[in-house]
Amino acid sequence: MNLRIDSGQASIDTSSASRIGQIDRPDRSDRSIANPDAATAGQFSGELGKAIGEIDKLQVAADTQADAVAHGAGNIHEMALALEKADVAMRLAMRVRNKLVDTYNEIMRMGI
Amino acid sequence: MDFLTALHVSGSALSAERTRVNLASSNLANAETTRGPNGKPYQRLDPVFESMRIGAQDEAPTVGQSPLGVRVSQIVSDPSQGKKVYSPGHPDADADGFVTFPKVNPISEIVNLLSASRAFEANATAVETLKQMASRGLDITK
Amino acid sequence: MKIFDSTLARLERSLDVRLVRENVLAADVANVDTPNFKPKDVDFAATMAAIEGTAQSSGGVSLPTEPTLGTAGSDTASGGIAARDLPIVDVPAGGASFDGNTVDLDRTMVSMAENALQYGASARAAGKKLAILKYVASDGNA
Repeated sequence: MNLRIDSGQASIDTSSASRIGQIDRPDRSDRSIANPDAATAGQFSGELGKAIGEIDKLQVAADTQADAVAHGAGNIHEMALALEKADVAMRLAMRVRNKLVDTYNEIMRMGI
Repeated sequence: MDFLTALHVSGSALSAERTRVNLASSNLANAETTRGPNGKPYQRLDPVFESMRIGAQDEAPTVGQSPLGVRVSQIVSDPSQGKKVYSPGHPDADADGFVTFPKVNPISEIVNLLSASRAFEANATAVETLKQMASRGLDITK
Repeated sequence: MKIFDSTLARLERSLDVRLVRENVLAADVANVDTPNFKPKDVDFAATMAAIEGTAQSSGGVSLPTEPTLGTAGSDTASGGIAARDLPIVDVPAGGASFDGNTVDLDRTMVSMAENALQYGASARAAGKKLAILKYVASDGNA
């Protein structure tokens, strides 16, 4: 069981952006039989939390690089790349957040 | 290694080559000077280049650590005598009527001049190239 | 509520220091032919360390948001560094000189180039960070 989870995680770690919304198949197959809805809900919020953590990590990494450059000892292209990654990740997060809010409003509008 | 170490490496070379040009010019200008600053015929000057570590202090080089710059460690004068010309009426003639001229070969001084000027241009190009590289690196965020 | 983080403040400080350094180096270049002129430079690493130290001693909360570097009548009470307190150091002479002037033009120009590049990098980083904030603040529409 552990091996399957680890290999699933390894394949996801390659890109944080693609992690959003991606269902972790090996995990799901363990619990979906017993309680499908709860498993799905747990998966998604967990994934979302992880994604937000990733975005925050990118912001912190960009800050670290910018600090190094501010002290005059930084690598300029590394800083530029870190800033761009943080920018792209933030834009993606905004899009996802807007989509989620729209979906929520849509659902609320449906009524019983 | 700092990101912009190469700038200071090339800068040290620019400085050293400029010194070489100055000395070659001085030699050329004084090719016929029979009375130098110390009263004797002019002695041609040569720069001695030495590798220098670019870093916190400009000190003796340690191979394998960081890119090495260059500096002129000393300027040596050539003590050898040049040709003697028999010219009794010359103010600097010695007791036998011979005047000693400096041992300066204008051709080799001009070659030094050209070589130093080429090296200066090459290092200036290196500086420009690194500046462009850093600019391009920054353009990632454009 | 603190909107702008310490990284942005640090970048602002570095921009201030870089500007002062550029002016000091420009003065060196202007005085390349002045007899007995000793060139100066700003010790950038030491200056940034001193600024960080000041911030730490004032409670380590946050660096002041108002730039105080180089402002006329700037004081240390607000946490900044007065221009007069900058560690402006003498540049060690590269070699002997005829008239006491020890300005090394090439290395000074190279230092100016490096300073300008780092200034651009700090400015770009600050601009990018602000752009990210602006994008989020305008609800993803900027």
